[in-house]
Formats: sequence, C-alpha cells, structure tokens
Amino acid sequence: MKALVFERQLARFAASRLASTLVGSGLGVGVGPLELLEIDPFQLPGSGYVRVAPRLAGICGSDLATLDGRSSRYFEHIVSFPFVPGHEVVGDVIGGALDGRRVVVEPVLGCEARGIDPPCPACSNGDKGRCEHIAFGDLEPGLQTGYCADTGGGWSAQLVAHESQLHLMPDHVSDEAAVMIEPTACAVHAAYSSVHTASGRRVVVLGAGTLGLCTTAALRSLVLPGVLVVVAKHPEQRRLARALGADHVVEPDEVVRAARRLTGSLGLGRDGGAIDRLTGGVDVVFDCVGSADSLETSLAITRPGGEIVMVGMPGPVKVDLAPLWHREVTLRGAYAYGSEDTPAGRRSTFEVAQDLVEDAHLEQLVSGRYPLERYEEAIAHAAAAGRRGSVKIVFDMRRQPRDRDRHSDRDKETDET
Amino acid sequence: MTATRRSPRPPSGFLWRAPTRPGGATPLPLERKTGVEYDTAWARRYPVRLVRAMVLDDVTIPLVRTVAKPTIYGRGAIEHLEGPLIVTANHTSHLDTALLLSCLPPSRRHHTVVAAAADYFFDRHWKATLSAFGLGAIPMERQKVNRRSADAAAELIDDGWSLVIFPEGGRSPHGWGQEFKGGAAYLARRCGVPVVPVHIRGARAVLPRGDDSIRSRLRRGEVQVRFGAPLWPNDGEDARRFSSRIEAAVALLADEAETDWWSARVRASRGESPPFRGPDVSPWRRAWSLPESADPVPRRETGVPGSGADGATAWDRR
Amino acid sequence: MSPRPGFVLEVDRSTPPTLFWHGEGFRLERLPSGSRVIYAPEPLPALKDPDAAIRHALESPLGDAAPLRSLLRPGMRLTIAFDDISLPLPPMQAPDIRQRVIEAVLEIAAEVGVDDVVLIAALALHRRMTDDELRHALGERIFNAFAPYGLLTQHDAEDPKNLVDLGQTDQGEDVEINKRAAESDLLVYVNINLVAMDGGHKSVATGLASYKSLRHHHNVRTMLHSRSFMDRHHSELHSSNWRMGTLIKDAGVNVFQIETTLNTDTFPEQFRFLQRREWEWNLRDRAGFLASSKALERTPPEIARRIFHSIRAPHQMTSVQAGEVGPVHDRTLENLYRQQLVPVEGQSDILTMGIPFICPYNVNSIMNPILVACLGLGYFFNLYRGKPLVREGGVVIMSHPTPWAFNPVHHPSYIDFFEQVLSETTDLLEIESKYEAAFATDPWYVHLYRTSYAYHGVHPFYMWYWCAHALSHVGKVIVVGGDRAAVRRLGFTPASTLSDALEMAEDVVGRDPTITHLHAPPLLMADVQ
Repeated sequence: MKALVFERQLARFAASRLASTLVGSGLGVGVGPLELLEIDPFQLPGSGYVRVAPRLAGICGSDLATLDGRSSRYFEHIVSFPFVPGHEVVGDVIGGALDGRRVVVEPVLGCEARGIDPPCPACSNGDKGRCEHIAFGDLEPGLQTGYCADTGGGWSAQLVAHESQLHLMPDHVSDEAAVMIEPTACAVHAAYSSVHTASGRRVVVLGAGTLGLCTTAALRSLVLPGVLVVVAKHPEQRRLARALGADHVVEPDEVVRAARRLTGSLGLGRDGGAIDRLTGGVDVVFDCVGSADSLETSLAITRPGGEIVMVGMPGPVKVDLAPLWHREVTLRGAYAYGSEDTPAGRRSTFEVAQDLVEDAHLEQLVSGRYPLERYEEAIAHAAAAGRRGSVKIVFDMRRQPRDRDRHSDRDKETDET
Repeated sequence: MTATRRSPRPPSGFLWRAPTRPGGATPLPLERKTGVEYDTAWARRYPVRLVRAMVLDDVTIPLVRTVAKPTIYGRGAIEHLEGPLIVTANHTSHLDTALLLSCLPPSRRHHTVVAAAADYFFDRHWKATLSAFGLGAIPMERQKVNRRSADAAAELIDDGWSLVIFPEGGRSPHGWGQEFKGGAAYLARRCGVPVVPVHIRGARAVLPRGDDSIRSRLRRGEVQVRFGAPLWPNDGEDARRFSSRIEAAVALLADEAETDWWSARVRASRGESPPFRGPDVSPWRRAWSLPESADPVPRRETGVPGSGADGATAWDRR
Repeated sequence: MSPRPGFVLEVDRSTPPTLFWHGEGFRLERLPSGSRVIYAPEPLPALKDPDAAIRHALESPLGDAAPLRSLLRPGMRLTIAFDDISLPLPPMQAPDIRQRVIEAVLEIAAEVGVDDVVLIAALALHRRMTDDELRHALGERIFNAFAPYGLLTQHDAEDPKNLVDLGQTDQGEDVEINKRAAESDLLVYVNINLVAMDGGHKSVATGLASYKSLRHHHNVRTMLHSRSFMDRHHSELHSSNWRMGTLIKDAGVNVFQIETTLNTDTFPEQFRFLQRREWEWNLRDRAGFLASSKALERTPPEIARRIFHSIRAPHQMTSVQAGEVGPVHDRTLENLYRQQLVPVEGQSDILTMGIPFICPYNVNSIMNPILVACLGLGYFFNLYRGKPLVREGGVVIMSHPTPWAFNPVHHPSYIDFFEQVLSETTDLLEIESKYEAAFATDPWYVHLYRTSYAYHGVHPFYMWYWCAHALSHVGKVIVVGGDRAAVRRLGFTPASTLSDALEMAEDVVGRDPTITHLHAPPLLMADVQ
C-alpha cells in the first residue's frame, strides 16, 4: 500500500530544516525525511484493533512543524520512527464488526489503546489527552496515531486503530465535515478549559488558521465571551473569522491598539507614540500561533491576573517572562481532548466537536484536496494556506486504489459515477 | 556516578581576590572629599599653574573672545594697583568667569583664584578637579559664610592671590541683578584688600541660562566689561553695609552701560539710578522691562526659526 | 499693477494643463474643454506699517468697546488667548501676526502696570504646541517673559480644575470654558482669520471650550445644517457658537476681540509658480515646476514631507480690527471676502480639487487619510457662499496620494478610528452614536492629549462630521492617485488617473458632465449664484 513515511534520518532532517529556513516553510519537503513509499499494511498490534482505510486526512500545523524540522525535541521520546503522519482522519473500517462503516479516528493513543490495565488516572477519568502512558504498553511510543510506528497514520491507504478510538459517522455528515472534527475538538477542549475565565469577558484569539477559526467558533457557541477579537492576517481569514462569530477582526499590527481601545486601558511605549504593552488588557488570550512573537503579544495585551491559553503547538521560544511574573498572568496549555463537562453533562469532546462542526458549517474550512502522490504540493499549499486564501488542506484517498482483493467492486462503482 | 557531599567551606582564593569584609567590621569612610572640603592646593602648584596659564591664554580666552567680543572699559583703575584684589561682578551667564579672567591684566590673571559654588562646581570629584584646574576655582558656600571656605580664601589673599567672586551667589534667573551677599565684603575687611566692582553687560544674550544644550543656547554677541574704581572698606563699616556699597557701585556701572558715564552719575546723585535688581513688579513685567542688552533675543526677529516639532520624528507607520 | 480679482477660466483647446495639488507634490492635468477653473484673487497689498495699524486698532476699537488702554488698570487680571498651530497655513514667516499683536497689547499692559497677565493657547481639542512652535508664534521675547514663570499656558479641555461651567443657552447647550479666561477682568483674544469660518464668537466658545461644550455644535446634525460652515449666516455651527458667545458675554466675561486678515501670498519665492496662472508661467516658473516635481519624484516621502512642512508662508496682514466681537467680525469678513471671494456662475456636475500637503491639523505632521477626507470634503467643499460648487448628486474628485500613514504622537486616536471604526462603517450617524462617547472618554487619549502632543480622542470624529454636508450632498467621491486600501477604507473610490476618474464619474452624472476645478491653495471662496 502507498504511504507517506517519515523516517529518522538526521541528515535529511537537517536538510529540511535548512531548506525551510532558506526557502520557506513547507518547501523543504523534497529534501526532507518524508517519502512516498509502497509498504506492507500494518500488523494489528493487539485485540480490539481494526484496519481503517482513510478517506480524507488533514495536514495540521504540528505536522508542518515536524516536516520543517522545527518541532520541539521534547517529542523525541514520545514518537517512534518510522511513522506515517496524519492524525485528522476520516475513513472506512475494514473487517470486524464495523466493516464498511465510516469513522473518525480519535488519534490519542491512551491506556486503552495500549492495552494497559488498569489505566492511568487521567484515562480512567476520560481525559485521554493527559494520558501518562503514551510511551508504554503494547505499542511503540507515540502520543497519537500519526506519530507511532505501530499504528500508521492518515497519510496512507491504511492504518490500524483501536476500537476505542473510533467515532461512527452518520451519513448526513460529509467527509469534509468529519475530517474537521479532530481540530475542532482541540478548539472545543481549549474553549471549555477556560469557560469560567472567558465567559462574558474580553477575549482575543491570536491567529486565524484552522485552530484559530475553530477556536473562534467554539468560543462563540460554547463560552459566549463578552467581546471576541480575532487577529487575522489575510482577507479570507478575516471573512471567515467574522462569519464564525468574531466581534472585531483586526490585523496583527493592530491588535495591541485594538485591545487597548476595547478595554479602555492605558498604554506604555516609546516616545514615538507607539504602544508596546498595556497596563490593563483583555481577560483571556487564546494563542493559536505558538510563536515567540505571538506569546510576546499575548503577554503585552493580557490584563494583570488574566490568562493565556496556548492552543497552537509552540516550539522552543525565547520570551521575556517578566510581565508574566509581575502581572500574575496564568499561562496554560490546551492540548487535544477527551471528555468535557458540558451543560448537558459529561460528553466526549469529539461528540461536542461534531455538533459544532455541523452547527457552524466548519466543513467550509476544507479548502484544498490533494492525492498522496502530490504530497509536496499539498504540504507547500498547507504551509502557505493563509496567504493563498485557504485554511485546511487535506489528502484525499477516496480515489486511491484500495486493498484490491476486497474493494475492487466498490472502486469500480466509484469510477463509474 | 556517586553523589558526594562536601562540608561548607569559607570563600577561598583570598590572595588572588580582594578580601571580603567580615560582618562585624565597620568600613572606613570614603577618602574623596567634595564640596567645600575639596582641597585645591594641588591646582596652585607651579607645573599645574603653567599648564593652566597655557590653556587659558591659548584656548579658553580666544574662544571666549570669538563668541563674545568683549570691550573693556575703565581697566586703568586697577592696572597699577599692586597686591591682591577682590573682583566682584554681576552674574548672568556661565561665560562671566572666563570673560572676567580674559579682561584682567595678564600679570594678575595667572595669579587669581575664582570663588565657585561648592554645591555646583565641586559636587562631584571630576567636576571639582576640572574647575580647580581649568579656572583655578576654589569652593565657596553660596548661602552663608562658611568658616572653612572663608579661611581658605583669606589665606590665599594673604598669600598674594587675587579673588574673583560673584556676590549674587549664582546666575540671575531673570537677567536682573540679585542681592549681593556679604562674602566679598567680609574678605576685603578681614584681609584689608580693595574690592573692584565690575559690570558685565550682554553676556546673557550670548549664553543665557537654560536647560537646552550649550550649543543651542550660544549666540554671538558683543559684551561690555566695565571696571569701576576700587573700594576700600571704611573704618567702622560692617560687612553688610560695605556689601551694599559694592552693589551700588556695580549698579552705577550698569546704568553707565545703558546710558553714559555722566548721566549715570547725575542720576545716581539724585537717587534716580534704575534699580539694579529690576522693578519690583510681577515676573513678566520684570522680564518685559529688561534692557535689550540683557535679553537673549533681539526685539523683533526676522527669518525662519527652527521648525522641528518635538516628538514628531516618527513619520510613517507603514 | 493692482492685484487682479479672482478668475473663472473656461478651458479651451489652447489652455495649458492645469496644476493639481497632490499631497507633497503636484500633477499637471488636462481638463476637458468647457471645464471651469477657479483661481484665487491675487494677493492684496499688505498694510504698510502693520505695527502702527495694530496700535491704531487697539486705540480706536469697533462697536461699544473702549480703547484697550482704558480697559487696563494695575491689579487687574488680564488673559490673552491666541489661535494655535492650526493657523495660518502654512505657518507664516516670522514675525508671526500673533507676536506683533500680543507684543503691542503687552506694551500697553506694561505701561499701565498690569501685573497679572496670563497667555493661553486656545487649543480646544487640538494637540498642544511644542516650545519651538510657541516661540515661532509668539516670538522669543514673549516666550522668555512668560514661559519660565508658567504664565504661558495651553488650554486643557480635560482639566476639571481649570474649567468653569457658565450655564446653558436657550437651546440647552452647555457652555464650559477655560476658568482663567472666564474669571479674568479682561480676555483679549487674538485671531488669525485665514478662512471665513474663523473668529467671531467661535474664538472663545470653541477655542477655550471643553468637550462637554463642543459636542453641541461639533456633531452630525449641526454640520448637516451648516451650508456652508464657511458662511456664518447659513451655518448652524456659527449660530450655536453665537448663542454661546452671547451667554459668555452675559455671564460677565469681558472679551476684547482682535481679528486679523491675511492676503493670499501663500508660497515663498521658490514655489512662486504655485500661485500663478499656468498660462502666465514664464521660463523660471516652468523650470521651477519641473525641477521641484522631478526632485520630489526621487525624494522619499518623509523627506518630501519635511521639505514641505518647512515652508513658511510670506503671508502679509491686510487688516486688523479690534473691539466688540460682533462688529469686529463683520469688518473682518468684509476684508476677508475682499481678498478671497470669487463670483461663480452656477453649479457643475463634477468638482475636482487637488489636496495639498497641509491642513489645519497636520502642521509638522502627516496628512493621514482622515485628514485628506476632511480637507477635501470638509474645508474645500465648503468654501462657498450660496450654493455648493457641485450640484446635488454630483461627484467630487480629489487628488492626493492618501498614504496609509499616521503620526502616532499627534494622531493616536485617528489610527484607532481608521482601523477599528471605519473598517466597520462609514455611516455618520452610526459612528456618532456607537463610537463617539467611547473615544471621547477613553483615558488613554485623555492622557496623551494632556501630557503629550496628541489630538483629543474625539477629534477624528469631528473630522468625519466635517465631511457630513459633502457626504450627504454628493453622489460619489473619487480619489485620484491614492493608496487603494486607504481610499476604500474611507468609503471613496480610488482611480489611477484623472481621466479614469472622469469616466467613473460619468456613471453617476451622465455623459458630458460639466466640470469645475477649485485651483486652491491659495485659498479662495466661491460666491455661487
């Protein structure tokens, strides 16, 4: 079967990092450690595992960081090589009781998927994202499907997944909507994590890529902030941010001024009249970028006692934490998902995300589909998505030849239609 | 790998590093003295005097003469006087000291010390050194007669040094004269030397007092330096009354500078001299009635002054 | 040769191209045959001895005011207020008129022996003046006599301790003005009446007022009912100020008004071609135009800006009158109209105008997009008496590079207004009701207005309201050669050339439109019959 495989080759790793520095993010793929290979399908690693043939698989910001060689070394021990990337997956189950059913894979590889019993306290509470055993058990280390050598990932014709990872999709949910559930779940989780600090308050979302827009939608429908400002750089992002519920959409170089004016805060700055930071500020900032610049901006505009939620995956960043200390700002991460305490009781994050995708029509964010063979193009597009007026780029395996023995009939049908 | 633990040891490297002071020991007081405590004797040793004389004659005075163009009147009154003198003048500009030195006869110039405010010229060690070297300054308390500085000055006068002193105790904030303090009179009485009243006209127009840089304040101009006849303290005259006599003499010179020698004297005899300290009215009217020569601005300017608006440097945002 | 009056040229095929101001630069444009170009009258001769004229005006005042000397006595409180940096434009060569007049007033005050004298720059909600600007306006002698003692002050409309509420007019308008001015025994106000809007009761009622007071006439409704605000008898802005002025007088504030008018000698020798009619450009003028426009093409915008802002106009005084506000202002208007009025026959479909580098609110600063709109649609559009130069539903075409650039020191609230308000809406009433209060009371803008050199937070709103009459009157506004994003943000239409703009205008006004070009500055006022 065809798969995009990411191998541990230090030389190529360095080459991709250099290339991404020189020519830009997403453009170093050709020299990097990612290759399209013909490999054998993965073995089922244990009981409860089934094969899934991906239909759509998204390209995520964290994937791009990995491909650019910029992800943190923190992940060294919680991924295993070679792996097939892709953790935003909608696909068809092959074999087993669920054969032929369309599912979304919840990629976190927690205790249950690893065959660890009894599970860790987090997993037993449903907070799979906080699992303490992601490097142990039946599987090689790997925090998620798409970073583990044993499970494969979405950027291929086939992966293996534990039954506990599968969410059945009803027919009225399109593939595009389904593939948006995973990123939306991240946003839902982030939104719920600050429901008490952000509800009715002044909130800024930094960044209007997939995560930023999903967070905007999640905040608008689940948290109801008093004022929601979204920082968006590109026109299409601005349009979408507004459509998804932003009260004000501002450009990156306007955010400090906008936050100042909306909060009626005073500013501090150089003699030239520019404002470097606010003395007051907004209550909560959702940083959906994760760079040193965005963190710096967040610290500049968060009020004393306020909160910064890091939704985008940060790498090693150099940032002055004096304001964090002096203004008693809370800096908090928001990773992945599990279960949320909703007004309707405790629900799986994916379920909430599925409702949100349907309500807010987040399938509109899927704006580019590529076959695996054109992966270099796809990744370059994803890296420049905002600039090119797109948001989410996905690999489309619906027209790929599948396991010939079992699915030749269906392939024919598809071809004919 | 084994983890070892050492017993705490006192700081080492004693001979290679400066010693640390034990908590119980009191530090010695700092050696350097400033203000009236500053000892200027080194600046009157021959090698230093020689260098100062060269700097004064070849650098300072030519510079002063270029910007201020002093015209000297009445120096004859002191040219043939022997022995030390106390030279007192009105004070409106930092230029005054150098101007006065440049107008003294050369023989006396290099045997003169200048009384300078202890709290301004001697507050830092480097400033004290520079003042003592460059102008032969000695520290003097502005407000009151300080025993130490008075003794030091008296000793120098007894030694044959002349003293330049500004009895107003500082540059005038508005261009008008201020009350003369008693220091000069006291020293003259104590040492039995004459006081020479001097009026400097127009220095404020060349270099006014102000917060801006010297370069932006400096304008070329013409300055008049008027020497009056030396005054000796009368028998039984106390320092305060002698001091007002000195002030009156400077005021007479001031009137003479605006009018002429004769009218000034006529007016003085009638008690109609314009008040040296300016009219006793509100600040703006005092400033408004300042004689043109004392004003750093010509009465009606023409041409285009600088148009730079402060803070308007950041032009473009994008 | 005596100066020629204003002139309306009908463009024919032998007319040379017409000069259009274009920010820190100019364009030469060919207007279609049959277009009209309105030229300002040539500069009237200046007063021979301005100082003597000022002394005369102070000694023989108009109306029922007594000579200044008899109004002064020792022990009184005298306050002298003067127009701020916004007048005249460009700033005039030294000595400034304010210096001449105030020196004359002070000479008398000094002779009489008035001790308690305070000078106030009548800023209203404008930025404070820098020391250099004050020195230029007042001369160093005044500056040195007053500034060091804190007697040279700038009106602070956000200092509750130094404001006094004088009550309400019969229309319910609050009158709150500078306390020192209100509580003085005599308030002398020194005006430079550059355009017909300036002076009269507007001097004190606006220049020394607070936001609480200003909002009664600086608003959309008033501006819609001021046709134009340059014509005092048809201006609601002025009616309101006159009501306030009457109240101020009734409250016992004794105002001695001094007004002065200037001639149209606006540009120095090297820019002489700017105030000549194109067909009269001699070799030197043509060379001057060529050299300066070529040089400007190669000059970075900041440097071009500096060059233009260093221009000091050779304005000369044509009249000075002092005394009671009403009669003084009437005489001033006569003198001003004598210099600026140009009779024009009827309206046209399209009004074109070149927008220069300066307006009242960007002296030594950047002409930001909001100010471009304000100068074109506020000031130039309103330079009429009778009817606007453009018919209702017509098109205004302005020429200005309109860069997306702001001076963060002078115009901080403008940046936010442009980024956060105009991006949402350009609708006058919506802006007024939804945003004005928040900007006017924002503590940061108040802080910058009081301590830095910033215009008040509400000031960009007033700029926008200034355009109200034009925006409600015309069908379309086109900006030639402007930054597209900035022009669109203003709600106007960008065009690259004048001919494109004329084509676009035809969609609104139909084929073969009539065109009028306002050839200003030098300033003029169209008397449209």
